[in-house]
Amino acid sequence: MNLLSVSNLNVNFKIKKQELAALIDVSFTLNRGERIAIVGESGAGKSILGFSIVNLIGKPGYIKSGSVKLENKELTKMNLRQLQEVRGKRIAMIFQDPMMTLNPVITIGDQLVETIRSHTKITYKDARNIAIEKLHNVQIASPETRFDQYPHELSGGMRQRVIIASVLLLNPDIIIADEPTTALDVTIQAEILQLLLAICHDNGVALVLISHDLGVVSKVAERTLVMYAGHIVEEGPTLEIINDPQHPYTQGLLNALPQMTLPGQRLNQIQGSMPSLAERPTGCAFHPRCPYATEKCQQEQPSFIHSGVSSVACFLVEDMVNEFANQDEEEL
Amino acid sequence: MTTPLIQISGLEKSFSTNEGWLGQWRFHRGKLTRFKDSVHALNGVNLTINQGETLCVVGETGCGKSTLARVIMGLTKPTAGEIHYLDQRIDQLNDRQRMFFRRRMQMVFQNPYASLNPRMTVYQTLSEPIAFHQPQLSRIEIDEKIEALLDSVGISPSSSDFYPHEFSGGQRQRISLARALSVEPDFIVADEPLSALDVSVQAQVLNLMMDKQAERNLSYLFITHDLAVVEHFATRVAVMYLGRVCELAPTSELFSNPKHPYTRALLSAIPRLDSTTAQPIRLIGEVPTPIEKPIGCVFQARCPHANQRCYEESPNMLLQSDSSSVACHAIEEGRI
Repeated sequence: MNLLSVSNLNVNFKIKKQELAALIDVSFTLNRGERIAIVGESGAGKSILGFSIVNLIGKPGYIKSGSVKLENKELTKMNLRQLQEVRGKRIAMIFQDPMMTLNPVITIGDQLVETIRSHTKITYKDARNIAIEKLHNVQIASPETRFDQYPHELSGGMRQRVIIASVLLLNPDIIIADEPTTALDVTIQAEILQLLLAICHDNGVALVLISHDLGVVSKVAERTLVMYAGHIVEEGPTLEIINDPQHPYTQGLLNALPQMTLPGQRLNQIQGSMPSLAERPTGCAFHPRCPYATEKCQQEQPSFIHSGVSSVACFLVEDMVNEFANQDEEEL
Repeated sequence: MTTPLIQISGLEKSFSTNEGWLGQWRFHRGKLTRFKDSVHALNGVNLTINQGETLCVVGETGCGKSTLARVIMGLTKPTAGEIHYLDQRIDQLNDRQRMFFRRRMQMVFQNPYASLNPRMTVYQTLSEPIAFHQPQLSRIEIDEKIEALLDSVGISPSSSDFYPHEFSGGQRQRISLARALSVEPDFIVADEPLSALDVSVQAQVLNLMMDKQAERNLSYLFITHDLAVVEHFATRVAVMYLGRVCELAPTSELFSNPKHPYTRALLSAIPRLDSTTAQPIRLIGEVPTPIEKPIGCVFQARCPHANQRCYEESPNMLLQSDSSSVACHAIEEGRI
């Protein structure tokens, strides 16, 4: 049974009586201990997806339809009390900027203790011991001293470690990490990623990594979802997606990386930019930027089809798959 | 051609961390004593930027990359050292004398959302520097110039009456570049111009920068922490650590054969797409704060090869056989 299953999730924003769709028919599943990544450009809806899993979408956004199931509990129908049981305890989130996540006027220790005590009945002293143990787990040197310090006394990498410790406090089943290393230097990033991987591996925690950095994704995730303008356009094993991308958008994204061209050569850019929510084109949302777009792409929305080990939403791929299927039939 | 355009020698910059004269007094062993604390952002940087080349400066947060850019541009005065533009010294000029060089040297900043004035239209943003530096131009000539400029950076000239918020991040960064190009400079300092942008948009801006370089023989000082961009774009790379340059090498040399222990660790930490799972070299700890001037090599605290000499004596840049230069005792002594 899947740990988390999202099916046909639609999230809308209501702005000035206008309905803007931020997520359209998003479906995916996550197994226990699995690590998946969600990639795409800014504005693709990656973070909205992360937020809507734990029903954290604030006004003017709302979940229009669809379901998010944690084991067999429906999260979209829960009231606030029930949700608070899930948030933090079953599904925890790590955000991009550690300085914004930690409260600057409360010591690190008190923030960690508060987290534990709001979910479990436990004395301050016991909670402190747990917090120090978790700080030790994320390789913070002298956790007893750090416990009484304020966030500004720590470096960026240290702060992100504290956040990871705070996420671990309640032993969640799923960690949603929204661009956890974007604000960090490469050397620190490598350490944090290693730490995150080790933690997921040791505790059997499932990870949803939201990132725009395909290099990071390739090092962490087993499976990758590529998002474009609120749709999932491609889904498959990470290595498959990186070595053999099928959707033209995924191809464009990978080809735009500097390491894909010889030094000094012009980079391959994707023409144009991601449409805003209000100006979503008809048919396939990618067709104005797609080098292979046909008339059909302008009118119809492609559905998700299996192609090898991946699934892709693209007419081009669909045609190819059908062609192969026909050939096979003829041969038979 | 390798004619040096900018020459920097012995550049130092320190910022006082005490707020004014009164802030310097503290009780020490029962006596009121005066302390002067300062952050040493640059500790003797020597660099040359040749005409038509791209010199990339890489390093972690706090290593002094941005300070270097600001000092070269004259936005802050250096504490010691000299900066030469062709054969003229420019670090001690007053604002009036500097005006000529302001036109020759321009800057593109990191965040296009913050570096464009939100209350000025694109036309106003671009016409201001042109009208200031070339007052002899007529209104029509300025209009023509702006139109050509916008066209050349791929922004439709018909949108010149739009405000910055009406553009996307990539378009804004292209407008920033157009503003820098508007006075026809020889030299552009770009301080992390791509870090606020998506990969596909990064490619657009990077392509544009390369096109302009080919067109006008521009020189770039490109500051970044994205090593994939460096590998693609740079002619030479300077690796900075704690206010010093620790390795300076042609790009291909640096990436194929990094020498300084810090460069090696930095390169191994890039998450690459290919599935070669080389473990990154772990550096112990983080960049120390540059409050106290380090004795010895700046990297000693995190270096796996440090010995007694590294703690006592600061290494000098030494030229290697493959035209790169490295400041490291261990390499000089042949220990690594």
